[in-house]
Amino acid sequence: MTLAPRAFLTGLAVLAAALALYPIVGTGYGVRAMLQLFMWIALAGSWNLISGLTGYVSFGHVAFFGAGAYAGAILIAKAGWPWLPAALAGGAAACVLALVIGYPCLRLKGPYFAIAMLGLNEVLRALTSYFEGLTGGGSGLSLPTLHATVPIYYAMALAAAGVTLLTYLIITSRFGLRLMTIREDEVAAEAMGIDTARHKLYAFLLSAAGPGVVGALAARDQGYIEPISVFPLATTITMIVMALFGGKGTVWGPVLGAIVLFVSQEIVWARFPYVHQLLFGAIIAAVVLLMPRGVLGLLQTKYRLPRTL
Amino acid sequence: MNVVVTPTMVGQVVISGILAGALYAMVALGLALIFGVMRVINIAHGPLLMLGAYTTYFLYAGLGLNPYLSVPVSMAVLFVIGAVLQRTLVFRVVDAPELSSLLLTFGISIALVNLAQLAFTSDLRAVEYLTGSWGLGPFAFSKTRVLAFVFAAGVTTLAFLLLQRTRLGRAIRATSQSREVAMVCGVNVGRIHTITFGLASALAAAGGALIAVVVAVQPEMGQVWTFKSFLVIVLGGAGNYPGALLGGVLLGLVEQIASLFLTSQLSEVVAYVLLVVVLLVRPTGLLGGRQT
Repeated sequence: MTLAPRAFLTGLAVLAAALALYPIVGTGYGVRAMLQLFMWIALAGSWNLISGLTGYVSFGHVAFFGAGAYAGAILIAKAGWPWLPAALAGGAAACVLALVIGYPCLRLKGPYFAIAMLGLNEVLRALTSYFEGLTGGGSGLSLPTLHATVPIYYAMALAAAGVTLLTYLIITSRFGLRLMTIREDEVAAEAMGIDTARHKLYAFLLSAAGPGVVGALAARDQGYIEPISVFPLATTITMIVMALFGGKGTVWGPVLGAIVLFVSQEIVWARFPYVHQLLFGAIIAAVVLLMPRGVLGLLQTKYRLPRTL
Repeated sequence: MNVVVTPTMVGQVVISGILAGALYAMVALGLALIFGVMRVINIAHGPLLMLGAYTTYFLYAGLGLNPYLSVPVSMAVLFVIGAVLQRTLVFRVVDAPELSSLLLTFGISIALVNLAQLAFTSDLRAVEYLTGSWGLGPFAFSKTRVLAFVFAAGVTTLAFLLLQRTRLGRAIRATSQSREVAMVCGVNVGRIHTITFGLASALAAAGGALIAVVVAVQPEMGQVWTFKSFLVIVLGGAGNYPGALLGGVLLGLVEQIASLFLTSQLSEVVAYVLLVVVLLVRPTGLLGGRQT
């Protein structure tokens, strides 16, 4: 190991320690903002797992967030589960949903998957509104009061770190290489003997778990969910923009994108809520046309940074 | 659920399904054209339909123009917008990986919806032109739906005549079969791409103009049409233009039949389940299409 990676790892350890101690000194607003930042890192990183690595665009990743939120909230409110196992169950529920959607749509090449994900969001919103007995329908679902912002802060931090670590492990593994082969040339990947349908499905399941867990945590944190609050298209758009801007298909790209965009959102764009989507649409178009590998991709090329960053 | 289904209800549902289906077919034909010619799925297809609906609304509210006379105007306006989008943005991703074109048109789509919110506000607008229905025996036909059917069938027929009988149509079909060979034969492929995108946007605009009379016009009315148009293409087989007609009518029928048994709240769920089932059972579409 050369000096640079060691310095990098030391830096990461210091950062992790600082973040672990932050709730002791931080303000309520600060802790909450960091919690949300962790959430976005986990979401953008999860989107990157399927779309960045395999090239199959998910336009409905918020569906897994919402499915996790509802699964977790129902278990907490109706079955009296503690929030931590409920969050894990939220991740499991999202994986089940991913299996149901991914199996038929990922067997095929082409845009089928993208469009299926585009519709999934609305479908889940309609279903949660319809099954009122379980979900409270349009009037929503309230969770028992619980002050757990700090524990949820740690759980969110773990989720963000988990997704990032998972991405690193995948990108540096044979599995990850196969996924990237599918992205570059699916026919060639198949000819090399890669079971592409199965690999895409695994990547999709892994990418659904994070949003499911995070969705359940967010539901617990907010204490109240309703169909429009957990299935907004805007959430999908935000995670796509973050991952694209930072650099899709990289380990740290989604983290970088989440930090930059979340901070600018908090500081600048909160004052211009009406042009938010326009701006995000413009960023998507600009990144696709001008820097398809995102900021990190530019840095990697310019400073010859390792591809596993 | 206990639903008594009478023969009259079945007849009514079948007729309503066919009426709605023609509209689906026309709008989906636009998406199918772009996909066939450029291999691009235009996520902004629905928002372009929304712009067509607004054009009709403003012509009606501002100038008092009959909404049915505004159909060609909406189509012309959106032809230009579509051609400009192609010339400025979309042409850059025609040869790029699918991910790029999907993301770019997705970006265009959310930008268009936001622009519409800024320019027109999110208020629901209505073109109150025709109400009531015509009766024929035991069946009732909503006037606006019948006229939408007639116009959609007319526009679709014209589009097919254009594709089948004219030099331009032949060039479009040639480009969609093989771009290289079309180029060798002297087809200006870039120009064909622009015209195709304009034409597809005009078809979406016709759909928007016709439903402006039926449903409320608002910035977010379009997105679901991208999904439904794609579903129609999948039903008919990707790259198979006549298949889009069958797919449209089929989607209309399935939605109407489902409305007998389920609340309309779930109509999108029905369309979605249909998509997943078709992809599972017969991914090349019912008529069989080109493999992608």
